[in-house]
Amino acid sequence: MTQSFLSIRGIRKTYGQVTAVKNVTMDVAEGEFMTFLGPSGSGKSTTLYILAGFQDPTDGDILLKGQSLLSTPSHKRNIGMVFQRYTLFPHLTVGENVAFPLRVRRVGQAEITDRVKKALKLVRLEGLEERKPALMSGGQQQRVALARALVYNPPVLLMDEPLSALDKKLREEIQFEIRRIHQETGVTILYVTHDQEEALRLSDRIAVFSQGEIDQIGTGRELYADPATHFVAGFIGDSNFINAEVLSNTDGNARLLLPGGTVVDGVPMHAGKAGGTSASLLLRPERLSLSSTRIDNGLTVTIKDITFLGNNIEVSTQTGNGEILSVRLPFGHEAISGISRGDQAWLSFEPKSTHAFV
Amino acid sequence: MGLSVTADGGRKTPWRDGSFGYVVPALLLIAFFFIVPVIMLLMRSVLEPTPGLQNYRELLGSTTYLRVLLNTFTVAGLVTIVSVLIGFPIAWLLAIMPERWSRLVLAIIVLSMWTNLLARTYAWMVLLQRTGVVNKVLLSLGIIDKPLALVNNLVGVSIGMTYIMLPFIILPLIGVLKSIDPAILRAAALCGANKRQCFTRVLLPLSLPGIASGALMVFVMSLGYYVTPALLGGTSNMMLAELVAQFVQSLVNWGMGGAAALVLLLVTLVLYTIQLKFVNPNRAR
Ligand SMILES: Nc1ncnc2c1ncn2[C@@H]1O[C@H](COP(=O)(O)OP(=O)(O)O)[C@@H](O)[C@H]1O
Ligand SMILES: [Mg+2]
Repeated sequence: MTQSFLSIRGIRKTYGQVTAVKNVTMDVAEGEFMTFLGPSGSGKSTTLYILAGFQDPTDGDILLKGQSLLSTPSHKRNIGMVFQRYTLFPHLTVGENVAFPLRVRRVGQAEITDRVKKALKLVRLEGLEERKPALMSGGQQQRVALARALVYNPPVLLMDEPLSALDKKLREEIQFEIRRIHQETGVTILYVTHDQEEALRLSDRIAVFSQGEIDQIGTGRELYADPATHFVAGFIGDSNFINAEVLSNTDGNARLLLPGGTVVDGVPMHAGKAGGTSASLLLRPERLSLSSTRIDNGLTVTIKDITFLGNNIEVSTQTGNGEILSVRLPFGHEAISGISRGDQAWLSFEPKSTHAFV
Repeated sequence: MGLSVTADGGRKTPWRDGSFGYVVPALLLIAFFFIVPVIMLLMRSVLEPTPGLQNYRELLGSTTYLRVLLNTFTVAGLVTIVSVLIGFPIAWLLAIMPERWSRLVLAIIVLSMWTNLLARTYAWMVLLQRTGVVNKVLLSLGIIDKPLALVNNLVGVSIGMTYIMLPFIILPLIGVLKSIDPAILRAAALCGANKRQCFTRVLLPLSLPGIASGALMVFVMSLGYYVTPALLGGTSNMMLAELVAQFVQSLVNWGMGGAAALVLLLVTLVLYTIQLKFVNPNRAR
């Protein structure tokens, strides 16, 4: 096996009774943009802090180019980091903030001036060397922090929800910049966020965290099309779940009985559970078809609400036993024309486009 | 209270909304019982025994009195420096300690401040005297072979006053240190700064406004301090406040007493002005 660039091996971290990280293992390739995605409290920051050396893992190891990092203190790890909070040094100018890593490395003044200039240019803040951080917007401060983290050419850049304090428009703007900077510098990035859209937009691969563990690692497409767990399915993309009974399950193809008597065959299902158990079926709102006329083997529903969302329309429907299913139709879809609130309608879907989880 | 907040969030100055009236009694009290007597004392310094500046000429012209001034500044300076050197690490520990421990230690510090000043100073006398605990321990450890003279001189005064002044540096510094986001120090470490560089390049500059205002407060308080120098100091090495007391109480020389008091007041006011100008906390960031 070829040795991976950055390797996180069975990391566990406990604080007294609390287990912050249960078991995290992953390999990151050089130049890869890897995102840790998960709800608050799922252990993303703790994993990042262990990489940065602010915390020691209870168990496990971290290897960079085959060398363990654990015995190296933070200030010798040569890793860059942008934090969730603004961490520029308030007593220093922007230029001196970016120069800081070079000054503590005793780089010569001429080279410092040159590299600070280049780093500020990279984040599109050239010429603002003399500005004090307090006089800058949140977005600008995070750009300076990015310049400060990149000026010493670290092999790995850690980012812990760097945009969470910014408003949506600014966030998207800086996401775009981060992508560009990643492409220009080729630095390996480990990025933490709880925002799936941000993760999908930025990452090469995403590691979905849940309760201190990684549920699945893959590209955004893989996570969307082939989620490994109920949690991943719910976290990436929009989703509906309905309860179903597993009639049979062979080679990852399940036959399910849905409420109301509908039977579907050929539903992808991971764990080979025997018939008779209950499962939950993932139905993506955009993969459901709606019809105002009866469909054989379709789900009978009542229309609860119709919402116009610009380029598409969201229809909220309710099944016979009260489960709410949302359906997304492109604007102008003919099915919608004759339908209004309270009407009966029928939902159908391609079994291959769904997923069943135990 | 009289303060009110306008719609745009700005505070009205008290005299504009009429609440000035509430502070008038307090101001009158200060005027009659503090400012007027001080002015009368200062008047006597230029009027007694005969009108003129001869009291000041004598005070600033004699080596004995200049020596007192020198003692005062030396002790105040020393106490300030040592208080900062001891107080900073204590404040830092208190700032990063778990809350319930730091509360306990703070309570002890505040309680000690509330303990009678005389009691605390006498306690130091007992500790520092020739047969006191400090000398006994040093002797038994073989560090010294005859007792050190730790009381009735400026060494004793400095030790006792440093102890008294420590809370005045620790308490404001805790606030300043707590307001520094630990993430900033983490960022510095990851940028490559070792412990010493984190301290000199980040922590120290960020806490400098707190250190400066604490140090100035301690220095000014030390300049005019009376009880501790009077008890722990010797008769040969006086400080300014003791000199004022001696002029007024023993020598009944109100003219010289007033002159010495004015010198003290002037120095204090100059330092206070410097503080307002240069260590304005609003300019710190
Ligand atoms: N210093 C700590 N002491 C105790 N518990 C902690 C500490 N740091 C984190 N935790 C706990 O560990 C879990 C994971 O935290 P964290 O890694 O910050 O999650 P995330 O970044 O995904 O929101 C949380 O339940 C949190 O309460
Ligand atoms: Mg976090």
